[in-house]
Amino acid sequence: MMRRAKRLLNDLDQEIREHIELATQENIDRGMTPEEARHAALRKFGNVTRAKEDAREVWSTVWLEELRQDIRFGLRQLRKSPAFTTVAILTLALGIGANTAIYSFMESILLRSLPVANPESLVVLNWHSQPPENGNKEWVHVMHSVSGVAWKGDNGAMVSGMFPYGAFETLGEENPVFSTLFGYYNGRKRNLAVRGQSTSVNAEYVTGEYFRGLAVLPAAGRLIDSEDDRPGAAPAAVISYGTSQNRFGGPANAIGQSILVDNIPFTVIGVAPPEFFGVDPAAAPDLYLPLHTNLLVDGAGTEGMYRDGNFYWIEMMGRLRPGVSMAQAQAALAPRFQQWVAATATTEGERAKLPALMLNPGAAGLGSLRRKYSKPLLVLLMMVGLILAIACANIGNLLLARAAARRREMAVRLSLGAGRFRVVRQLLTESVMLASLGGAFGILFAIWGMGALTFLLSNGQENFTLHAELNWNVLGVTAALSVLCGLLFGLAPAIQSTRPDVTSALKNGRGGGPRRRAQYVLVVAQIALSFLILVAAGLFVQTLNKLHSVQLGYARENILLFSLNARQTGHRDPEIATFYTELRKRFEAIPGVSSATLSHSSIISADRAGKTYRGPMKIGAFTFAGAGVLVAGPRFLTTMQIPILAGREIDERDQAGSTPVAVISERLARTYFGNENPVGRRITFLDEKRDLEIVGVSADLKYGGLKEGSPMTVFVAVSQSSPDRVTYALRTAGDPLRYVKSVYEIVREADSAIPVTNVVTQVAEIDRTISQEVTFAKLCTGFAVLALLIASVGLYGTMSYNVAQQTSEIGIRMALGAPRRAVVWMVLRRVLILAAVGLVISVPAALIAFRLVKSFLFETQPNDPGTLAVAGVVLVSAAVLAGYAPARRASRIDPLAALRHE
Amino acid sequence: MSTRKESERIELLQGTLDLLILRTLALGPEHGHAIAKAIEFRSDDVLQVERGSLYPALHRLIKRGWIFVEDGTSENNRRAKFYRLTARGRKQLAHETSKWEKLAGAIARILRPTGERE
Repeated sequence: MMRRAKRLLNDLDQEIREHIELATQENIDRGMTPEEARHAALRKFGNVTRAKEDAREVWSTVWLEELRQDIRFGLRQLRKSPAFTTVAILTLALGIGANTAIYSFMESILLRSLPVANPESLVVLNWHSQPPENGNKEWVHVMHSVSGVAWKGDNGAMVSGMFPYGAFETLGEENPVFSTLFGYYNGRKRNLAVRGQSTSVNAEYVTGEYFRGLAVLPAAGRLIDSEDDRPGAAPAAVISYGTSQNRFGGPANAIGQSILVDNIPFTVIGVAPPEFFGVDPAAAPDLYLPLHTNLLVDGAGTEGMYRDGNFYWIEMMGRLRPGVSMAQAQAALAPRFQQWVAATATTEGERAKLPALMLNPGAAGLGSLRRKYSKPLLVLLMMVGLILAIACANIGNLLLARAAARRREMAVRLSLGAGRFRVVRQLLTESVMLASLGGAFGILFAIWGMGALTFLLSNGQENFTLHAELNWNVLGVTAALSVLCGLLFGLAPAIQSTRPDVTSALKNGRGGGPRRRAQYVLVVAQIALSFLILVAAGLFVQTLNKLHSVQLGYARENILLFSLNARQTGHRDPEIATFYTELRKRFEAIPGVSSATLSHSSIISADRAGKTYRGPMKIGAFTFAGAGVLVAGPRFLTTMQIPILAGREIDERDQAGSTPVAVISERLARTYFGNENPVGRRITFLDEKRDLEIVGVSADLKYGGLKEGSPMTVFVAVSQSSPDRVTYALRTAGDPLRYVKSVYEIVREADSAIPVTNVVTQVAEIDRTISQEVTFAKLCTGFAVLALLIASVGLYGTMSYNVAQQTSEIGIRMALGAPRRAVVWMVLRRVLILAAVGLVISVPAALIAFRLVKSFLFETQPNDPGTLAVAGVVLVSAAVLAGYAPARRASRIDPLAALRHE
Repeated sequence: MSTRKESERIELLQGTLDLLILRTLALGPEHGHAIAKAIEFRSDDVLQVERGSLYPALHRLIKRGWIFVEDGTSENNRRAKFYRLTARGRKQLAHETSKWEKLAGAIARILRPTGERE
């Protein structure tokens, strides 16, 4: 239509010229001079421009005017059937809201840029190399030790962002592609004392170019520069905006104040801007310290790390010079790094697996959040996408049924000469309006959902950094999604109801086969999609059950855990051991606490947290790895209710000067001692060249996480180790959290500078490690219920409509003597066939699709037959339930009334 | 052929032009200039078609699907656009005509001097 208008308007000039030409000719024929004739013709035509504008206006208003008409008409239609409208909007709101909520999280980790100037010119420096383990599982790599993480890249390569300090210096020299190259190093938890008040904060060590490279301006004072970052400079610190508010009452008050970081005095020189969170969206440092101050905080012994070419610890980002592309930078720097790193290799094996430099876009900061959450969120997004598809199919179905009722109206309009396109457009306007209303309410659901999801995902983490928000990007996607949904579910019914067999519709007003077929297709689609979600929910619930039924071998209930780090407030060996032991006795004396103990960390995170031996061990002639070492204090086995099978547990007798002792778990004892009694025998920690006497055997327990934990454990005495941070465990009568106040009092009495951290019950500590599985199980169960509900409503609606349509046929059957039972069966059989077809389509799809989620499952196969069967049974039951009411209604049809109706 | 005096000429009422165009085209397809001329000629030059509103009116009728446009050759052998009535246009013409007749009749009855009543 619009193309035709354009052509007409384009030709109008020519047409008017012709018109005037003709009039001129006539005037000449009548005897005027050519000049007069032309003037007369022009005068008679009037204002040419005005005429053209008027003609254009005729066309330009059409579209808008018709849209306004359609919207007004659509609103009237929606008001006319409030039940349908409410159900449709509610369903859509749930579907769109769920999608918006999940998408907002995706957006926050995948698309959002760092809040700094020109983030797009930032690049992150990484390296990749062949996996360091060769065929016989030996580690061969120039990276001898690392402080940080490496992850798996493409083709099984190892990727990391950690570099030796030498690489940072080399890459920073006379750099033609970067205007700045800056480094940073995770400072971990530190004890920050302000005016005698201590708290535990996250620190980040940064090089002198860090803030300049990020182009960040201070909220107050000045930021760290190169002068602050050299050995011997006055210790200066920058604090986060939040810290300045919590601890100083505002940025301005903080400047020039003295603080203690792990008992080392620093001066606050500046405050970072409020929106700044460093370079890693997964971490929000409270405290920024010049890199070289780690010599003060961590001790002069750390000086060696600046010279060790095989110790990987510093991370880097660079800012590209204007006009330099990332590829150019890569080409310029890769050979330089190559040359440097080659010099650090000492063996053939190391030379064969040299790391190669790899630049990545740095606009969004580091990728740790992306790596952690993008896959789970993608799975969730697919689930909610399916739900929305079910919702769309459902509304499409309702619209089809309604289209039947409006068939006469459509036929009348078509026969009165309304173009089919025009009528389809009007119907689509109606469904897009419906979807837009759904989207608007969906945003309300999304806000609620984002809160709920943040709560579920964070699950008690102290500084959870994944923050979703409804920004314009998210809202835009929601709007687009709504319109798309409207078109999706509106198109089939619109085309269906304007099919050109107008006359038959006018005659009897009853729909024919094609629409019923379309309805069945939509119902089958809903059933198939619901099955997928049901299976997903089943798999995740099954996984959670398996995790919950893992035999821990130690007590879950009535245990209070909390951590202390006395070394950060100046306690040193050997006094620190006594300090910790004394505290344990005082905790045990709290009324209601039956026993107290300490260890290097909670058992569930013993393999990841705290300082403990992780190398190979030797018993007799056997050398082995994989046994977990737990640094434990007196009464550990008693407190954790782990049975002692032979000998004794670690107790007060084990002192720093006495014989080093160990208690081993039953599995370890059986494996290396068979039926002999291990008590009195020895175990050796090879890397530490430490010989321990075995004094007892404990029952088996799960050392470390539920999924990967080891069944072999070696307990060593805390007094004979040199722990930094320790975790206390109190066995309490009743709710463990009731004793928190007493704990705080005792610690304050002992040393008021030590903050108590990670106060948590054992149950919560364990649940925290499976928070993703809990979240998935909860969310997917919710999704499954929702999907089932929507699909059931769809099935119910379709069958009810079919029964109503077949009233006369059923009437005749009953008049001919068909029993009610047969009528019920007739309807239910159709329901079962639909469900069966849905399942036949869905089962293979499920088998293929769920390989994707294999990594989320624990001791559960993606094709778990039990789960598939349960999902199938649930689905068929729901289908029968939804179909029963219409079937019953069919069997109540009065044959006489039905026939008369016809 | 402007033989009549200006005072006797009547500007067309809004909307009437559409009806007259439809009526003119009922006799066969015509181009714009010819339509205007035909209306003036058939009304003995009483009705004056304002040329500036002719083309917007034609476009309006196309938009409503009452007429359509085709290429043809004018009397002096030049290419021109010819407007032709559609079936719907013809229907619309009948509808509008009867409406107009009713209206005209009613107005005439009101305006007729009382003495002349039959």
